[in-house]
Formats: sequence, C-alpha cells, structure tokens
Amino acid sequence: MSTLLDIKYALRLLFKSPKFTAMTLLVLIGGLSISLFTFSFLYSVVYKPLPLKEGDTAKSIGVMTHGNYGAIMAYEFQHIKDHITSLAEFGVYDSRDIRVSVNESGKSLYGNLVHAGFFEFSRTAPILGRTIQAEDTKPGAPPVALISYNTWQNDLNGREDVLTRTMILNGEITQIIGVMPQGYHFPNIAQIWLPLPDDVFTAKPQESTYLSAYGRLAPGKTIEQAESELSQAVNQVYQQNVKLYDLPELQKTVKILSFPMAQTGGQGGIIFAFLNAVSWGILLLACINVGNLLLARTIERQKETAIRAALGATTARLVSQLMWEGIIIATLGGVLSLLLVGAALEYTNILLQSWLPGGISFWWQWGMDFVTFMMGLGFIVVTIVLSALLPAWRSANQDINATLRDGTRGAQGKKAGKVSRFLVTAQVFLVALLMLIGSISAFVSYNMINLDMGDNYDDVMSARFLIPENKYPEKAQQIALFDALTSQIKQHPNVEDVVSTNWHWQTPITMEGQDYTSENDKPTVDVITLIGNTETIGINLVSGRQFSHMDKEGNRKTAIISQSMAKRYWPGESPLEKSFTVTFNDKPEKVFIVGVVTDRLNPSTLFGKLDTEDEVYLSGRQFISAFHVMKYKILPQTANPEEIFYRAMFNTDRNLELLYAVQPANENRNLMRDSMRLMSNITFATGFFALLLAMVGIYGLTANTVAQRTHEVGIRRAVGATDRSIIALFIKQGVKQLVIGLGLALVIFALMSVGFHSFTDAIFPVHSYFTLALLVVVGLTSIVLFAVYVPTKRAVMMEPSMALRYE
Amino acid sequence: MTALISLKEIGKTFLTDEIETRALSGINIEINKGEYVSLSGQSGCGKSTLLSLLGLLDSPSTGVYTLANNDVSALSRDDRARIRSKEIGFVFQSFNLISDLTVIENVMLPLTYQAGLSKTQIEQKALEVLEKVEMSHRKSHFPSQLSGGQQQRVAVARALVNDPAIILADEPTGNLDSKNAEAVLELFDKLHNEGATICMVTHDPASARRATRCLEMLDGQLIKDNANHDRTSKSAKPVELVAG
Repeated sequence: MSTLLDIKYALRLLFKSPKFTAMTLLVLIGGLSISLFTFSFLYSVVYKPLPLKEGDTAKSIGVMTHGNYGAIMAYEFQHIKDHITSLAEFGVYDSRDIRVSVNESGKSLYGNLVHAGFFEFSRTAPILGRTIQAEDTKPGAPPVALISYNTWQNDLNGREDVLTRTMILNGEITQIIGVMPQGYHFPNIAQIWLPLPDDVFTAKPQESTYLSAYGRLAPGKTIEQAESELSQAVNQVYQQNVKLYDLPELQKTVKILSFPMAQTGGQGGIIFAFLNAVSWGILLLACINVGNLLLARTIERQKETAIRAALGATTARLVSQLMWEGIIIATLGGVLSLLLVGAALEYTNILLQSWLPGGISFWWQWGMDFVTFMMGLGFIVVTIVLSALLPAWRSANQDINATLRDGTRGAQGKKAGKVSRFLVTAQVFLVALLMLIGSISAFVSYNMINLDMGDNYDDVMSARFLIPENKYPEKAQQIALFDALTSQIKQHPNVEDVVSTNWHWQTPITMEGQDYTSENDKPTVDVITLIGNTETIGINLVSGRQFSHMDKEGNRKTAIISQSMAKRYWPGESPLEKSFTVTFNDKPEKVFIVGVVTDRLNPSTLFGKLDTEDEVYLSGRQFISAFHVMKYKILPQTANPEEIFYRAMFNTDRNLELLYAVQPANENRNLMRDSMRLMSNITFATGFFALLLAMVGIYGLTANTVAQRTHEVGIRRAVGATDRSIIALFIKQGVKQLVIGLGLALVIFALMSVGFHSFTDAIFPVHSYFTLALLVVVGLTSIVLFAVYVPTKRAVMMEPSMALRYE
Repeated sequence: MTALISLKEIGKTFLTDEIETRALSGINIEINKGEYVSLSGQSGCGKSTLLSLLGLLDSPSTGVYTLANNDVSALSRDDRARIRSKEIGFVFQSFNLISDLTVIENVMLPLTYQAGLSKTQIEQKALEVLEKVEMSHRKSHFPSQLSGGQQQRVAVARALVNDPAIILADEPTGNLDSKNAEAVLELFDKLHNEGATICMVTHDPASARRATRCLEMLDGQLIKDNANHDRTSKSAKPVELVAG
C-alpha cells in the first residue's frame, strides 16, 4: 500500500513539472540509446556466434605472418591435416568471384571453392539436391555447383527443376547440384559454392595457393593447445621447404578466432572496447546530469524528508520513497530507448544491405535480440543506481536536526555545493575528452576522404585476373594473350586506353657503388610491373619516356622511377640511364632508368605521404606475371562499362580466372571514403549529442547551484555587491571547474596525440593537434561560460529583499 | 537638524500573478543622525518591507526617499548596491552569515565590494569591529561552529565594518534566547551612545522601549510616532498619526 502511495506521489511530482520530466527523459533516452546501439551494432559484428547449429564452436584458423592474420598455404594444409589431433574438423576453402555467363554478357557472384565436409562443418543441409562430395573435387570431375537461395530465386527464377539446369561458370558448363537454405551464406557472403580441385594441394610450395582454413576443436582440447599444435606443424612443414625452394625465412604462428573476430583481423576486441568506452562515457554523462537534476529535487524536498524521518520513517523507507521519481524516469526512458534502438537496428540492416555491394556478412543481423535486450535492462539498472539511488541515499541520510532548524541552508547546502562542483568538473572532463577524441577521428576521416593518392582513377575500370599457366605455359604465350585481350578492349569506341599494373611491395634494391652489410640494410621500394602508359591512371611523366613494345624480354631491362626516388638517390642530377639492381622474385636484376614519373601513394598505406615510399615501375613485358590488374579508361557516362571486359574476355579466352568482379577502379576507395564519411558523421553526431548533454547538464548543475545559493546572493547584495560582482563570482567558480576538467582532458589528449602522431608517421603536422585542442577549448569554454552566465544572471535579477526570504 | 533619512508619501505595491498587494502606503518619516528608532507592529503590517526600502534592498512604488540629502528613490540596481556597501549596515533575524565563509571573511564582505581598499586595510578594519563585538577570538571559525548569540554578534560586526550612516536591524533578537538577546541590545545601546544611527524592527515591546523613538505600523501605514519618547519613562504617551 505504502509503495503504491509512493508511486502515486512520484507520478504527481513528475506531472507537476512537465519541463523537468521531459528534459530528464530526453537526456536519458539519448544516453541509453547511443550506448545500447553502439553495443548491439558492434556485438553483432565482433562477438555474435554464427547463426548456425553449433555456430559458437565453428572457428576460423589463420596463419600469422608479420603480425597479420592470413591464410594457410595449400601445401601446408595438405601436409598437416591428417596429423592434427586437437581439431575434430579441419578444412579449407578459397574465396573467389565466380563469373556467370549469359550469352556474351554476364555478371560475377561471390563464391567459394570448397571440398567435401564444408557444408557438414556448417551443420547445414541443402534444401534441394546434395552437397559437394570427394568425387566432385577429383581432377577431371564434371563441374558442379551449389547455389544460394537468393541466386536460385533471382537468377533462375526459383525454377522447380533447378537441379536439371546448368550455368556457365568461369566459362564452363556447370551442373547445379543443390540449393542452400535462405539466409545461408557461409563462410561470409557466398552466393555460390564450387568444388575446390584436389590438384591445388599438389602444387609446388612456391606456386601453392593461399586458402582460408576452418576447424572445430576436438573434445577436451583448448584453443591454446590447438594453436600450439598447429603452429608447430605449420612451421615444421614450412622450414622443410625454406632451403628446398628458396623461400624467405619466416616464423609462422597459428591463431584460432571466431569467424566474426577473424573478419576484423583479430582487432575487433579493441574497436569494441574503444567505441563502447566512448558510448558508456556518454551514458555516464547522461546519468550524472539526470542524477544531479534529481539530487536538486531531493534537496528541495529535504525539509519534507526530515519531517518524514522525524515522524519515524526508516532510511530504507525514505530511500525507496525518494527513488520512485528516478525509477519511473529511468524505466520510461529505458523502455523508449529499447524501442528506438530496436527500430534503428532494423534500419541499419536495410541500409547496410543496400549500401555494401556484395551484401553483408550473413551473421550481421541487427535487431532487438536477447543479448541487446538484456544489456538494455542492465543499462537501465545502472542508470537507476547512478541517477536515482545515490541522490536518494544522500538525501535520506541527512542531519534531521540541522535541516529542521535551518531549512535547506547550512551544512547540507555546502555538501551539495561540493558535489555539484565535482559533477561539473567531471562533466567538463568527460565532454572535453569526447570532443578531443571525436575531433581527431573527424580530422582523420576528413583527411582520408580527401587523401591525395597521386593517381586518378576517375572513369577507370579494373579487372583482376590470372592467365591459366597450364594452358599458356610460355611467357610469350601469356604476353600474346594479354595483347589480344587489350586489343579487343581497345576496339570499343568508348575505351581511351588500357594499362596493366601489379604491385610488389617492399622490394629490396641495390644502388650502384653502395655496400650493404646485410639484406636488411638494403633500401626497399614499391615495385609495380606495368604494361601500358602510366598517364592512363593519372601518373604523369616528368622526364624521359614511357615503356614501349621494345622494353621486352631479351632486351636491356628498363625501369621508370618516381620523383621521390630520383630526388633521394640522384639529387641535382638526371637519373636517366642510371642503373640499380632490383630483387624481383628473389632474383637480382640490373635495370636502367628510362623515365621519371610523379609520386604515388601505396594504396595499402592508411597513413603516409606521397614521397614516403619510392616507386619503381618495371616493364611487364620483361618481368612477366600470370596475374594482372587490368585498368581501362573509358569515356564518362559509358553504359555497362564492365561488359567491355567481359565481351573481350569472351572473344579472347573465356577461361581466364577472374579474381574479383570487374568494377570501377576507385570502388574500394569510394567504399573506404564512404565508410570514413559515415564514421565522421557518426562522430560528429555523437560529439554534438555529448555537447548538448554537457550544455544541458552544466546549465542544470549551475542553475541548481545558483538556486541553492540564492539566499547567499541576497546577503551579498544586501551588503553591497553589484550584479557584475556576483556574476563574476559564479563565473570565477565555473572557470575553476572548467580549468580542472579541461586541463585533465588536455593532458590525456596530449599523451594520445603523441602516440597517434607516431602511429601515423607524422603525416598530420603538430600544429593540427594544437588547432584541434584550441577549437575544443574555445568551444567548450564558451558553452560553460554561457551555461553559467544565464542562470546566474537570472538569479541576480531577483531583488535582494526577495532573495533574502528565498528558501 | 538635517534629517539623515526622509520618506515622503512612500508606497509599495507587489504584483503577483496579476494580483496587486499594497504593502505600504503614505509613509512619511524623517530620521535624524544619531537617532535610535524602533519599528513595531503586527505580523504582515509592512515593517520588513519598510526596512527593505530604507536599506535600498527594494525600491518604492511611489513617493520620494532622500538619504543624506540625495534622492535615492529611483536609483539603478548597481547604484543602490554601491550606497548599501558604504552607507548601510544590516542585522537580520536569521543572522544571514554565509556558511562557506569564516567569521572574518563574513565581516570583510561589505568592504570587498568597495573600491580602493587593500586587503590589509580590510582585514584590519574587520578585526577592529570583531574586537568591538568581542568575537575576534573566533575569527577563523565558520558560522556553523558558533552559537546563535555569537553569530548575531558577528552579523553586527559585519553591519559596522563599513562605518555605515545607519544600521538597519530586522528582529535582531528574534532567534536568540533572553541572555543573548540582552547582550545584542546592550551592544546596540553602546553603538547608539557612540553616535550610531539605528533603525530596529521588533515586535517585542521591551526591545522597542530601548530606542529613543518608537514607530508603530498597522496595515502598511505608520500609526504612531513616539518622537519624544523618554527611554527611562515607561508612561510616555505616543503620538497618534493615523486615526483608527
């Protein structure tokens, strides 16, 4: 009965102050929604178990080389697979774009080459037909494929007789043997599955294919045991081949991760922790603000509380009575946040599905799931404790005598003032830190969006393919095929030029007349094998000439170098006709410089400067490779530009192995830039909300402090203080809290900046950090001063005779 | 003798939620330098409002208020504040000391709002008045560490620190026991004897009789002014100002 009365009383108080109720609700909904959305979004990306039967035990197995999580080599897998005891299941797959031909045209589908056991590992059976079996992967086996539910519905119109149909996949007539259930895209975004031929395991180590591995632990085995056993086995196989096949010395370790974590390269945990810490900071801010607003209410009711205590109410009873207001607000805010976050997650699903070209990982399913709901409840409980229990506890434990004798003045007012000052300082610190971190993030995003790569991929299409070496074993045959393909593409009236590039990063070179004590002392450059003209992709000739058909095998080996390299090694003189030795495919080759071109940024470098790394272009007719990244420049607004390559391929050799779909060359960059833009927008939105929270919070705290000190203002005015001196007094106190909070945040920001500056290879000048800090200091100072000035000005407008009577 | 304070046809009206409340009307008083005036009447008769007007804590709605030959009825807020810091000393019923400031800091407060005084001068002056009220030994204490009587003596010291033209006291003994009340009244007697001008609101007849002139109010009007009151005579008849 008494609880019902308390609730009724709390509701009456909330309805009595609709502005207060609306403001606290808004602040709570904002804080809770940001925290919950961030948690749920990242949890689905990083930690959510695969939505498969026994999905939590399905693991991705990666080989770490140079600190990067990567694939296992086919020959390594072949040698170790039968000896590993810590895994109950162990297999590999290869991710490829699969070319689907329809007459002379067609499209690419995200596919996986898999072997027997793959579908059994994912504990999923096809809804039609059968899975890939051992006989399908044997050399000479008829080509077969399983397709996804979407492919069945969209490309084959959901035909019932799908199992009697064939498709032309990678130029081969392929029998469809099964359809997988709706939503199944294991291991990631697959739309089609083909057999992984057994002969990939018998290739020589230096020609061996890299494959992605998966596995499931054997009963009683731990991840550490499996990692140790696999690392030992992989290294043993690798070391046996190091001398035999002249492979580089490496120490390999094996890492077992969940599939979602593997997709983030094992870095998901850091991102998860960092972004959640930021969002929890915002929730903490919201709780501080709401807590303080509620504290102000309980202080206003201190006399009432004292009377209740004097009449015999216990502390627990008082706390419970005082808490109801907070509980109602936190619960209502929590419920509304859950609804809001649920809708936002559903919308995110739709947005990302349409935004990412190949669709999203099949476990990226956002919505109000059990974990999000439970986390939401957890946040609500934390909010109740921080914003309702603590103020109520403080108020209920007051000195009854003092309060009944002196009203709200005296010792309680002093304590409340201290708490308020601490809260303002904490708030300034948190907001300043959020703004400083946010400004770095926004600054980096802005720079990444506007990054000068040193090239121009506008109206350039890109196709990555492999020339089948079994069909074209001779280098001359490969070049002839390449020329035929180029010629076909150039016949199209909308094609301006064609160029082929292939990057080989961190290749050592030897300069003439230099002694190097070891291989590690040799400078490294980015080597790009090139057939065609660099100007096709916006890399302009500075001096000398471009490669021609004469820069072919048998003739003197030539090179074009970047401006940065010319300045570094031949300052003040022409590098043309100078020579140096480049180690290409582990073989030293002396090359003569015939041209100098503008600098270009290594596309794998997130942070760098155009002139940080030097580039050496080698003639692709002298340094021949089966792998090509062909780029063809087209006229703007050319319709279906990818079709130009597909038709040329159809007319040249339809068995070329396309590694990715033909796409605009800046597709990935645009995707990166869009991601950065999204990140920047989210950062700004979050920072703006934090700022809004801070403004509301600091205003509320100051208004509360000023209100508590209205009587003091009256006394000061009575003894002669002017309006200005009173305002100056409060501003001085505000500035003190600002200096402490901002100072602490700036110290942390300075430490972070030093680390970030070093991590980004000093690409951003030091003054940019100072500028960011200055902007935040000016912005936050203005807001704090405004938030202090407005309620103080309002308080001093009260006549001293009224202020002296103010309780 | 020139009047220190002169009120002519002073009225005060409060407007709350469009309801007009007339707190004072037709008040005419002159207070000379060195006078000790008591102001009494029933609760809600307007004593404190009148004291607020005298102390420039509020402005009259009508009439003319002259303080030391200067018309102060329509001054700006800051001009009133400057006059308060130099010419007026307040003593309140509830002491009104600032709880976060020490005794000496509280006493120093009026002087900190005056320009041209060094910290040493302010401290020295504050100590002098604290000695006068016999509170210098508690100068570093906070108000909460003092008894009611001690707090009121500190409040009197604060009222004296700026050598005011007039000390205004609003029920200075209202929150004190008889012993402490007597001590405060004795302090006022002493100050009066030293030449201070005092105006004290009280509804204790005994306290009122300590003044040399006794004013009485009813319903916002001055009804009695015993200007010739003899502090020693208990039978003096007051002058009736307003009929019935």
